[in-house]
Amino acid sequence: MAKINGSAVIDLKGVAIGYGAEAPPVLVDVDLSIERGSFVAIVGPSGVGKSTLLRVVAGLHEARGGSVTIHETKKPGHRPVSLVFQDARLLPWRRVAKNVRFGLEGLPIAAAEREERVAAALRLVRLDDYGRRWPYELSGGQRQRVGIARALAVDPDILLMDEPFGALDAITRHSLQDELLRIHRETGKTVLFVTHDLEEAVHLADRIIVLGGSPARIVQDVRNEPGRDSGGFREQVEQLRSGIADNYSI
Amino acid sequence: MRQPLKLHSSIALSALGVGAFLLAWEALARSGVVPAGLLPSPSAVPGAFLAEFRAGTWQAMVFASLSHYLSGLALGTVLGITFGTAAATWGVWDAFQAWVVRMLRPIPSIAWIPFAIIWFGVSKSAATFLIALTVFWINYYATYSAVRGVDKDLIELGHAFGQGGLIPRLFKIVLPGALPGILSGVRAGLGQGWMTVVAAELFGISGLGARMSDASGLLATHIVVLYMVTIAALYGVCDFLFMQVQQRVLAWQK
Repeated sequence: MAKINGSAVIDLKGVAIGYGAEAPPVLVDVDLSIERGSFVAIVGPSGVGKSTLLRVVAGLHEARGGSVTIHETKKPGHRPVSLVFQDARLLPWRRVAKNVRFGLEGLPIAAAEREERVAAALRLVRLDDYGRRWPYELSGGQRQRVGIARALAVDPDILLMDEPFGALDAITRHSLQDELLRIHRETGKTVLFVTHDLEEAVHLADRIIVLGGSPARIVQDVRNEPGRDSGGFREQVEQLRSGIADNYSI
Repeated sequence: MRQPLKLHSSIALSALGVGAFLLAWEALARSGVVPAGLLPSPSAVPGAFLAEFRAGTWQAMVFASLSHYLSGLALGTVLGITFGTAAATWGVWDAFQAWVVRMLRPIPSIAWIPFAIIWFGVSKSAATFLIALTVFWINYYATYSAVRGVDKDLIELGHAFGQGGLIPRLFKIVLPGALPGILSGVRAGLGQGWMTVVAAELFGISGLGARMSDASGLLATHIVVLYMVTIAALYGVCDFLFMQVQQRVLAWQK
């Protein structure tokens, strides 16, 4: 398991999320402090604002209220947050290595270090030999690996992942979940992972935040022993499932 | 369902089609049904070419037209892409120019010939202006819709990875994403540009069109056909070369 040294890397206080100025908020009262190095899954039914919460942290969506504080490491040549999307979202006109390089462009680092970081990120996702390929030549799982490499290359404090395996077939999904656990172990990155798949959350995360209700809020915040083989895997999934059902009204 | 043809049989059939067309034309011209002055026979064209080539006229006309064409094409393409991109990315500018564009767009560039001659005289500049005008509108609209059609998710990706500012967004996401559409516009401009070359030169600006106009005045219709074939060949070469470039530039597409 990754080291958790106890200091918070991100603090959300009273965050509320809504779409449009008039509509009522969909998610309210989000108070959340995330420890450096932890793997936190956010689960909940569709429409509760899970993905939008990630976008608020990434600075792509403005919160209706509350505050988001990122305790950024003071080091040059990195970005505090980076994002992995569900659809991989590679730039089709860039070869794989140049896609990985995308977030590094504009950072104050030497060209040689930049290329070394691209190569290291591709090694980490086991696509060392794929740098010269075009995105269309890759499978769905390989594309998503490139998306992960791109996000890791900027050496972020927090890796935000928005249902990254949701569009993959079950076999690819399982293998990428295991890859992600390995990458998390090797890099010690803080991961904030949105999913609607409870089993995925229990398999991956050491902490699971459940959103529910209307407007939604945090209804459960549980510590978890990640791994599909861990003793309490089934019980944990069932407990979360009933917790969501209690707070879920259609 | 149509059965796909093998490549060599499709080439053979195309050649057969062209051969049959030329034979039918030759037969019609020789039959005497149509007076010789009205329809030259295709077999008269190679002789006409040799005569024009030996006199140096053919080369001079091709060179003159090519120089009108290339300068008008370059000017119209660059301005069309620039203004199309500006209108598609900058809402204030789009609204400001929208009605000016609506008023000017429907005027065919040939209708500008009187002004072109008043402003530039019967000169290379006048031809360049008219060709640029035709090419401008094609590129303007192609670029506008291509830029508007760039995937919004990719713009969000740019913001997420620190490439959301105007310059990186434009050069790393918007223009590369719009490139297939922009190049389709450039290619359409290549064809329309040749049509305007001929139209502009029919009014006396030296080149293929002017030579055709002179020859038709003397009923030298075989000369007219020679230059028609010349234009077709020049367009074919331009389009072929452009397609080679396009395929390389867009190698990232499946």
